Amino acid sequence: MLLAIVLPVVFGLIGVYLLLPRVRPFPTIWGTAASGIALLLAGFLLIRGGMAVPENLLFYCFSAIAIVSGGLLITQRNPVHAALSFALVVLSTCGLFLLQAAPFLMAATIIVYAGAIVVTFLFVIMLAQQTGWSDADHRSREPFIATVSGFVLTGALLYLLQQTYAAPRLHKLLQQAEAALGSDSPTAVLGDGDQFLADLHREVEQTRGLPERGVLLDEITNARGKWKEWKDSKNFPEMRAALHRIVEDGGKATDEIGSLSPQEVTREHMSAYSVLPKGNVLPENVAPLGRTLFTDYLLPVELGGTLLLVATIGAIAISGRRMMPAHPSPLPRRGEGNPYVTEGKP
Amino acid sequence: MNPAATLQNYLVVGAILFGLGMIGFLARRNFIIMFLSVEMMLQGVAINLVAFGRYRGNLQGQAFVLFVLTVAACEAAIALALILMLYRSRRTLDVSIWQELREPGQEPTLDEEPLPPPPAEPPLPKLTPAGVEPRHPQEPSHV
Repeated sequence: MLLAIVLPVVFGLIGVYLLLPRVRPFPTIWGTAASGIALLLAGFLLIRGGMAVPENLLFYCFSAIAIVSGGLLITQRNPVHAALSFALVVLSTCGLFLLQAAPFLMAATIIVYAGAIVVTFLFVIMLAQQTGWSDADHRSREPFIATVSGFVLTGALLYLLQQTYAAPRLHKLLQQAEAALGSDSPTAVLGDGDQFLADLHREVEQTRGLPERGVLLDEITNARGKWKEWKDSKNFPEMRAALHRIVEDGGKATDEIGSLSPQEVTREHMSAYSVLPKGNVLPENVAPLGRTLFTDYLLPVELGGTLLLVATIGAIAISGRRMMPAHPSPLPRRGEGNPYVTEGKP
Repeated sequence: MNPAATLQNYLVVGAILFGLGMIGFLARRNFIIMFLSVEMMLQGVAINLVAFGRYRGNLQGQAFVLFVLTVAACEAAIALALILMLYRSRRTLDVSIWQELREPGQEPTLDEEPLPPPPAEPPLPKLTPAGVEPRHPQEPSHV
């Protein structure tokens, strides 16, 4: 399972390292190939979608566009192209928001970031030198260390997610139960059946994101209570029936780990407005979101408004001054070049 | 197999966007691209928060993302104002020019390879020579 994380991370590292801008760039084809392999591996190994329902297909499309244009954003030499890639990142993120039943956030993100992108474009047109080579666009700062640290962070996050949501120990125990089900004598395979059931109970309790765990726990407790009796009287059919129920329900539950149709709804520390009804989160949650903001989060909303005001004043105060320097700056003006170049001499 | 896109799938996408944004911030030297990379990191975090909100069946995740949006808008305003100021004082978007703010004993990071010369400008278009029109010899007319 570790290989499933290491492979895409290593290929992504190589790809991004080769693609980062430098004065003598590597051939683009190598970096593109490595990044494409990394993307495909990540799609196959990390994001196992399952059935080809529209939701899954849309999720694949949007996340692929987001990640590819994110990679383009950090490897493009031209800031205008980078701003366009950022627009694609934002749009595909908005698609993911829509898939997650957050229509208001989608609209708000498009509006806010559309403004941000337009302003960035203005800045690029105003400030960036469009022709020739520049230190800002055709050099990277420590590309190897930066890429390694970024991908080490990503790999650690992915490993943690894998450990949390893949539940390898639970899968192993369920496989053991299935093996016992197929054999002649379940006690011979499971050994100490009581210990096995206790382990299974603990794993089911501790696995995060397991839906319908109450039914499964009840079945395991029942089987534990009667296991000794069945073992003494060699009542294998009853044993098999109990194991069969556990394997079936356990398999169904582990398939749904992390399912986005919540069975248990958390109600702690919240007013009734913040909690949506059980089952699928309705997409029509704009009005509940508004009620949440103005009941549970009234003070943060006021603080956010104040923050916007302060930031506006601050931006004007920082950029509004048009003072000319009293004495000529010792540093280069436009076109005089970078003082930190050794010109080939170490 | 999972029936639909699950929580961990969204978390994986958020983690990858966050990592890419971090690489962009660390490796690129253009102020504007660094700013865009930070915004991309915020997008990764927003995906995580919304996924957790839907997974928990409440609206806290979405409310959090709204506040993230607010702070991102403030950050954009301040960052662009600062970029404008820094550009005005040095006439470049290169962040490495500001390594003069380093500690006294610190060695500067030098770029070893010089940039190639700028591409030659295309030759100016040749205009037809203009000037005083030469005097044409007058031919006598014979009727």
